[in-house]
Amino acid sequence: MKDIITVSKFTMKEMLRRKSFIVTTIIIMVIIILGFNIPNIMNLISKNSNIGHGDKIIISDNYNLFNGTLNTLKDEDLDYKLEITPSTFEQIKNKIENKKIKAGVIVEKKNNDILFRYIVNDTMAIMPDDLVDTLENLYVKNKIEQLGVTKEKIDDILPEFTTNIEQTEKIKGNTFVITIISILLFYAIYFCAYQVSNSITMEKTSKIMETLVTSTSPRTIVLGKTLGIGLVGIIQIIILVITAIVSAKLFLAPSLLKIFLSSSQITPFAVIVMLIFFILGYYLFAFIYALTGSTVSKPEDIQSANTPVMFLGIIGFYIAQYTMSKPIGGLTTFACYFPISSPFAMPFRAMMGLASIQDVIISLVILIISILIVAHIAIKIYSNAILNYGTKVNLKDIIKMYKTK
Amino acid sequence: MSLVLKNVSKKFGTKVAVNNISLTLDKPGVYGLLGTNGAGKTTTIRMLLGIIKKDSGDITWNGKAVDRKLVNFGYLPEERGIYPKTIIRNQLIYFAELKGMKKLDAEKAINYWAKILRVEEYLNMTAEKLSKGNQQKIQFMTAIIHNPKLIVLDEPFSGLDPVNTEIIKNVIINLVKEGKYIIMSAHQMPTIEEFCSDILIMNKGKAVLQGNLKEIKNTYKANRVEIDVSEDITNIIKELKLEIEMEKDKQYTIKINDESIAHKLLNKVIKANIKVNKFEIKKPTLNDIFIEKVGE
Repeated sequence: MKDIITVSKFTMKEMLRRKSFIVTTIIIMVIIILGFNIPNIMNLISKNSNIGHGDKIIISDNYNLFNGTLNTLKDEDLDYKLEITPSTFEQIKNKIENKKIKAGVIVEKKNNDILFRYIVNDTMAIMPDDLVDTLENLYVKNKIEQLGVTKEKIDDILPEFTTNIEQTEKIKGNTFVITIISILLFYAIYFCAYQVSNSITMEKTSKIMETLVTSTSPRTIVLGKTLGIGLVGIIQIIILVITAIVSAKLFLAPSLLKIFLSSSQITPFAVIVMLIFFILGYYLFAFIYALTGSTVSKPEDIQSANTPVMFLGIIGFYIAQYTMSKPIGGLTTFACYFPISSPFAMPFRAMMGLASIQDVIISLVILIISILIVAHIAIKIYSNAILNYGTKVNLKDIIKMYKTK
Repeated sequence: MSLVLKNVSKKFGTKVAVNNISLTLDKPGVYGLLGTNGAGKTTTIRMLLGIIKKDSGDITWNGKAVDRKLVNFGYLPEERGIYPKTIIRNQLIYFAELKGMKKLDAEKAINYWAKILRVEEYLNMTAEKLSKGNQQKIQFMTAIIHNPKLIVLDEPFSGLDPVNTEIIKNVIINLVKEGKYIIMSAHQMPTIEEFCSDILIMNKGKAVLQGNLKEIKNTYKANRVEIDVSEDITNIIKELKLEIEMEKDKQYTIKINDESIAHKLLNKVIKANIKVNKFEIKKPTLNDIFIEKVGE
């Protein structure tokens, strides 16, 4: 045990010192900070090129096509102020240039069509959709009213159509938020585990392995290394989560933050499930990577040796993603228990409120047994393959190595 | 204390890497392991360190079977390697801790050996910034830092310049004085002759010659004479029907098959009033014996 701690401490120190680790962490932190600033950035862009909160727009119906009903628009719940004043193009242009208004609309008749001349200073600007819809509705209602149809009849003819999606399974949480978390979870598991392969291959290619295996057992090296890298992964996640929380508090509008938190369904149960499956998922992939890493002798072979593991990870992740769109079914049950996909699928289900404690326990037992089997095979192959500096090892050689006493 | 290998064998697939090797190192000193590339030296070393398992035979240290979990031998592998991007001091502490040392003791030992091996100034640098020779001295430190009783050195001098070779040589001499048991494999025969009391020459996995180096050499008759004279003695050599192996500035190396013919040569040279600066009857060197035993 003492040696496992020594190996993991050394691995941790080395990883934390590495420039690639520091740079990657900083880049992800910057991405998170930028991500939480997207609404602010969008606002800034829309403020410059589109109509924003509190901007004034003049509407001019010089030919009285709306039959004087435009004043009713002042009661509409729009994001900008409307001023109904007969104006010419030049007058509107002057007011825009003097920053008295942001835009103007001149309503005209062209043949049998109605033309909205949207006058604005910005070449990128477009007339707000809600303003177009509001003007169209008002025009139609006014015309029907002129035919002698009552207001009630008009409401009956032109009702508002809304859509409400209701799923057969009661799912909590915002699938967008859950997808984001699941992608982060996948990358955290996958890239932490990948580091194990890198670290082992580096020790092989720098020929340090022989000194190492006379200092401690291969089992200690594999366990110490996976523990050390896993802890570094957790440290990195904690740093990123803290960055996300601080960024959310600093940059996200309180109303938006409230919606985000209330819809994300990150319950204590979901957090515990996520943490346990992150650790176990990491261990499963870390041991598989320890196996492939120990079979590589040259740095240029790492990629090809790790490709099958990458496919396994991606298959597991996509099976898990599929369960999110179809929460009930055979494949979903399979994904929750299959050790390659369960580390990604179970946290989703916990967040969606679909995972019972019984489901979690069965999935955990299967995952732990799988980890023990993979660890046993990985340590055995590592012990026999680490001193192989020769040609590329194929599957047949790996099986032979496993059978070697 | 003793290291005993008894009838040890190892196969890789159908290839026999080590075939029935036995050796005993029962007193402090250096035991030389010789052989061409692929002779089975490294496999023998890896087996006695418990890195790979033997197929048959016994390997014991102090009467107990060698097990990787129990041994704490020092080892300088032939395949040199240190962590390239890690501070030297940190990796030395790491290996010392893995070998059971406390951090404080490890630091003391590092400072002590760094001074002797003249690498003090490199301790706080990363390994990639060091020359090959200095990297090798660092790796030599990892082999001896935990003060092991048995040290295995696989080609300790390969790639070292004369100054560093001398430093390592002195360390090895002192280790033997301190009562260490050393197994050393090397290609440089003069080095083996200088250090080793006992040797084992391997060829294709088998022991082709084994025993006390002095006794082995005593079984060989003198086979050449070296003479340094003031005048050309080619005629005298021809007269005695001897073959010149080498000649440079009136220094001759002449092949002989009997010591008496060397004395006859010396008599004739003296009678001819030629000044003799040096005269030495020589037995086969370890190099000669090695080539005789393993040369195809």
